[in-house]
Amino acid sequence: MSRYILQRIGRGLLTIFVSLTLTFFIIRLMPSNPVELMIDPHMSQETQDMLMEKFGLDKSFGEQYILFLKGVVQGDLGVSFGSRANVTELIAQKLPWTLLLIGIVLLLVVIIGIPVGVLAAKRKGRLSDRIISIVVTMGISIFIPFLAFLLLYLFSFRLGVLPTAGAYTPPKGEGFSYVLDIARHAILPAVTLSVMMLANAVLYTRNSMIDVLKEDYIRTAYSKGLDKKRTLKVHALKNALIPTVTVIGLQIGVMVGGSVMTETVFSWPGIGRMIYDAVTALDYPVLQGGFLLMSVSVVLMNFLTDLVVAWLDPRIKLGGK
Amino acid sequence: MKQRKSFGYYFLRNKNGMIGLIGVALIVILGVIAPFLVAYPEGYTADILLAPSLSHPLGTDKLGLDILAEVIWGARTSLYVSLTAVVISALIGIPAGLISGFVKGWLGEIIDACIDIFLTLPMLPLMIIMAAIMGTSINNVALVIGLFSWPQLARVTKNATLKISEMQYIEAATCLGLSKPRILFKHVLLNATGPVFVNLTLIMASAVLSEASLSFLGLGDPTTWSWGTILKRAWTSNAVISSPNPWWWWLIPSLCIVIFVVCFNMLGTAINDILNPKGRD
Repeated sequence: MSRYILQRIGRGLLTIFVSLTLTFFIIRLMPSNPVELMIDPHMSQETQDMLMEKFGLDKSFGEQYILFLKGVVQGDLGVSFGSRANVTELIAQKLPWTLLLIGIVLLLVVIIGIPVGVLAAKRKGRLSDRIISIVVTMGISIFIPFLAFLLLYLFSFRLGVLPTAGAYTPPKGEGFSYVLDIARHAILPAVTLSVMMLANAVLYTRNSMIDVLKEDYIRTAYSKGLDKKRTLKVHALKNALIPTVTVIGLQIGVMVGGSVMTETVFSWPGIGRMIYDAVTALDYPVLQGGFLLMSVSVVLMNFLTDLVVAWLDPRIKLGGK
Repeated sequence: MKQRKSFGYYFLRNKNGMIGLIGVALIVILGVIAPFLVAYPEGYTADILLAPSLSHPLGTDKLGLDILAEVIWGARTSLYVSLTAVVISALIGIPAGLISGFVKGWLGEIIDACIDIFLTLPMLPLMIIMAAIMGTSINNVALVIGLFSWPQLARVTKNATLKISEMQYIEAATCLGLSKPRILFKHVLLNATGPVFVNLTLIMASAVLSEASLSFLGLGDPTTWSWGTILKRAWTSNAVISSPNPWWWWLIPSLCIVIFVVCFNMLGTAINDILNPKGRD
């Protein structure tokens, strides 16, 4: 078990390191080096030198890279080109909003996705299973802006029951009404972001549940006299969930990418919208910081799903491969 | 003895596969031929935001341009970008998968670790950064999507290679003294065509999604029409929530994207089912 965990941590750290290196070199090796673009030849020599020094451009490539890595380890992600704000602080300010969305998505997966998958497996081949399958096929390859537009059109424009943008109605309220206001604003973005993940969860739970229900130990459980509900819950579900959890882990990267689209359409003040704004303003330190944060969170969540898989699958716990 | 039936026999009888194939064929025809029939939409006219009618079957946008013409020229862009991206990712993904599955030792391990790492990284944000820096041209968009779409293909190729390299005819080929590259590219790859091809159609679908996403975020080529660019324009003009609602402006290009993706996915799934004997009945 501990070897498994160590191996996963190593892989995770390596992933973060690769994403750091990638962004550093993508940004600095391009023909139109954005950092140099910032320094206008019309500026006085003094200002140019000062800026060069401030962004470390007077040093060699390797030194810049080392400095950059050092900064990241110390939690310093540089300064935004646009607002001159500290990128770490900017991210800290935006992160809770994105975490809120992702939290809702994962909650929906657990309370809706998995039960629906189990239901479809139990009713395999019947009408309800077929309807679920069609919806799932559509959901897996959904184009996020399209879904967002449909929801906006229906619920905000036609019915007028939900807000169109933002995370709360300014001015910021207090107490319970503030929480309620945020919840109202979060409904559409959370639903948009969760569809792909939900579809995957339903699909994999259904398919592996169908396989598991054919296993001998399920028949044994029935012949022991266990009732159907307990057999499904205790004996089948735990094994059937292994592929689901693995897929959720693999899909987290895709979902984090989807949050850029979702937050952009709904003007949700999270990391995704921050990245969109940084692209429009060509604000590279913010882009770099945002991407780094996304990779770190993907690695963390992957690690968590690995732990869950290890808990579900005793073969891993007992030290096999 | 039961006669062995060909791939075409099963394919013609696979409903989803045929729907997918017809859809894909229509899109290809639309993208290749239609630009000769419809003029390239540019400039502006006085027919602003007209609802679908006989003269404008799919309505017009805020500049008075015909949506049908935009969508047709957009199909061309989508095809071009996704095909280029597929070729690029095949050039990286297939050799990477073959080598990591066939060659034991450090080279295989390193490639394997690379595939794993790139599979976990959030690709869309990476594409966004790269596209933002490289500048918005249609070739850059295709290049960026291709450069970041290979890990899944590599994984699929690797799994197929692992299975095939255990087979006896590979052992036989090795005994004959054939060179490793020859065995890999001729004997292994040829037998891995099925899963690889299926994955290529799936990459085609996801490349269109990526292209639309990049264009929607303003990273597409502003001088070329693509479904994402139309959506971007509609969205920045508040088309979804303005009254009276020009629904055709945002709905039509979205539907095009969805149809393209669903058709390619159906085609891929059908081929997969046919190649996999379990799915034949």
